[in-house]
Amino acid sequence: MSRFAAELCISGCGTIGPFGVGMAALRTALAAGIPLARPIEKGSGWHRSGGSGSAALVPAVDLKAMVPPAAARRMSTSSLWAVAAAKLALADAGVDVTRLQETALTVDLANVFGPSRYTELLLQQVLHGDPQLASPFLFTDCVANAPAGQIAIALGARGSNTTWCERECGQVLALLAAARPARDAAPRRALCGVVDEMPEVVHAILDRLNALVAAATAGGEVPRPYGRTRAGFLAGEGATVLLLEPRSLARRPLARVVAGGRAFDPSAHPIGWGSGHVELAGAIAADLAQAGVAPGSIGAVVASASGSVGGDALEARVLRELFDAALPPVLVPKGVVGEFGGGVLASALLALEGAQFARPVGCDDGDPELGLRVHDGTVRAERVLVTTFAAGGAAAWVVLEAGPGASKS
Amino acid sequence: MGEPAAITGLGCVSGLGWSVREFAARLFAGTVAIGPFDLFDAARHRTRLGSQVPGAAGVRPSPWHSRVDGFALHAARVAWSAADLDACFAPTRTGVFFGTSTAGMFETEAFYRGLTAHTPRLRVRPVASQQSNAPGDTIARAFGIRGPVVSVSTACVSGAQALLEALDAIRSGEVDVAIAGGADGLCELTYAGFNALRAVDAAPCVPYRSGRQGLSLGEGAGVVVLESREHAERRGAPDAGWLCGAGSTCDAHHVAAPEPSGEGAARAIRAALQDAAIAPDAIAFVNVHGTGTPHNDAAEARALHAVFGRAVATLPITSTKSLVGHLLGAAGALEAIATLLCLGAGRVHPTAGPGAADPELGVDLVLGAARSVAGRHALSTNLAFGGANTALVFGSAAS
Repeated sequence: MSRFAAELCISGCGTIGPFGVGMAALRTALAAGIPLARPIEKGSGWHRSGGSGSAALVPAVDLKAMVPPAAARRMSTSSLWAVAAAKLALADAGVDVTRLQETALTVDLANVFGPSRYTELLLQQVLHGDPQLASPFLFTDCVANAPAGQIAIALGARGSNTTWCERECGQVLALLAAARPARDAAPRRALCGVVDEMPEVVHAILDRLNALVAAATAGGEVPRPYGRTRAGFLAGEGATVLLLEPRSLARRPLARVVAGGRAFDPSAHPIGWGSGHVELAGAIAADLAQAGVAPGSIGAVVASASGSVGGDALEARVLRELFDAALPPVLVPKGVVGEFGGGVLASALLALEGAQFARPVGCDDGDPELGLRVHDGTVRAERVLVTTFAAGGAAAWVVLEAGPGASKS
Repeated sequence: MGEPAAITGLGCVSGLGWSVREFAARLFAGTVAIGPFDLFDAARHRTRLGSQVPGAAGVRPSPWHSRVDGFALHAARVAWSAADLDACFAPTRTGVFFGTSTAGMFETEAFYRGLTAHTPRLRVRPVASQQSNAPGDTIARAFGIRGPVVSVSTACVSGAQALLEALDAIRSGEVDVAIAGGADGLCELTYAGFNALRAVDAAPCVPYRSGRQGLSLGEGAGVVVLESREHAERRGAPDAGWLCGAGSTCDAHHVAAPEPSGEGAARAIRAALQDAAIAPDAIAFVNVHGTGTPHNDAAEARALHAVFGRAVATLPITSTKSLVGHLLGAAGALEAIATLLCLGAGRVHPTAGPGAADPELGVDLVLGAARSVAGRHALSTNLAFGGANTALVFGSAAS
């Protein structure tokens, strides 16, 4: 059985992030290469002294055109962004939503923290108030799969509905699932992607885990993926949803999945990365070989490097092991949009379409031990490898190949 | 339609104990493990009962892990041992497919209390296990697995979806062996949340009864070891049954309530039967989701009528939740094990609790004592928040 459905192609993308709404806004942000950091609320006093003071937060955006207020007021932030991103993806693909239910529609959505603002509000009510007065409304939309369920409700998506939670790898796992053959071999559309939100409490926990670049860091609170002085990542938030359609239905086939896989490094710490770069590179190489994708045919790597000391080191070693001296341009969108929220998937599509990827501020001083320099300039690749390595040990990757709908600007 | 996967090892933890043998004995005896519990102060809540895993103090594998991680790891070790796989363990050809809904929320609640109280030197390590990948990753690290490790958190179908994902990975040739299951734990967030929905029965739940008033919450883990047929046959593996087919759908109706007609659940059942290439009349019994909430049981019963027609009147059904409560993200996995044990024994465990089946549901609920059944296939169904539905078709060892 083939791992991927040959007839499915990515035909639309909706994205919401610290750059605002839509692919054009992301394109502009990546071309500028400036981390989209904004001050984060720290009024509760939960952060470390001298800890992180910023995050790549979604600015105030008007999503009423995608999600009417009557529906939005019943949704968590994650659900709202997920539904809006899904509708953006459909609009991007030119899908007539009134005819959407003529074909089965599945949903595969990832998150790392779930609808965490609602979860914290409910925790406050339950732990510090009277639990018998807790809001049922908060409960039903704080579960991890609520955003995926809300997409299904909003669009009548009656196919399988799965929420993937494998930290930084979740978004690629969701895409791999969406791209596989249908169990019943019937034509279908698939929505896949990721959503996450970054409230004060989650940010403070990441800060206490020493995962974030701190305000007191020499050179400022800049994430520096693959940098010599990297000291943690910039926490981000947002949503990205891709639409996959049968080629026969797609108005604009942007890309298709030609390879992809999943592996694990058991040497990892529960919240860190391990030393298994040789084995992980071997797993990717075996997958590419099985798919008939020569490493030399890959025109760019969209990396998951974020500024994390251990994560970036593992990924750099994997990429060097995989490509040896012929490493293609390596892009680090998390240097701009931060960790979490889907910038990786959307950036991969931009790399296929052709886009300017300025080397993010802070990445000029590369870590000599990693032997890898972040690309600075225009990228237009026929094939893009997206790699993700999660704290805890999981790894997932995917190779996207440009379709005829990818504009060659 | 695809090849079935061999099931070669079972492991579970629940209110009925820590071993499969205990679980089976108490399952067939109809022992109810729902009652007062002491994990947290239930007196603050509207209802006071639950199904807590007994003797779980010290179950956390390390300060970085949660109780739920401990449940998952224990069940996985039991299942792995039963499958007798040590001699032919191939790390890159083995995967972990796991489901949970709350993961380390119990430990996170303790952390959050400390955080909001500005407790000095508050340890942040327990929060590392809060995320839904923690139980599956814990198993993978402990076993030295290098194949795919994926975690799903689709509320109450998470465990069943994990088995479905494992089946797909075996069929596609991605792995030869899969450790698949789910784990979840009691915590105040879900306890208060389900109570806020008025979805919890103040007494032990009575699924499919006229007087049902809601579910009972439970905790634990269920893990199965799955292998490709070729792999299992080549090594002469233990034969605990087969996962023959799976179906997964969404109601697209409401974020918490099932679609009343059961149409979405019926599609999942039909898809699973088609995937397993068996007709409805080949199903010997159904281990239903059967939470005991008025809406769930009614919608699920309608789904059964839609698929099985008039045969529902004589198709035995049972609810494992009547014994161990609702294990949320672990429910589908533990109920898979219950289904396999029933298939293996040729008996369906009883649905505990007083009263006759709700006549409006028109089902043949197994009550009082375990009932003998003939047949080689059984169905297990699960429904979840967000409208997700799954159905799994299992085959007996002899099938």
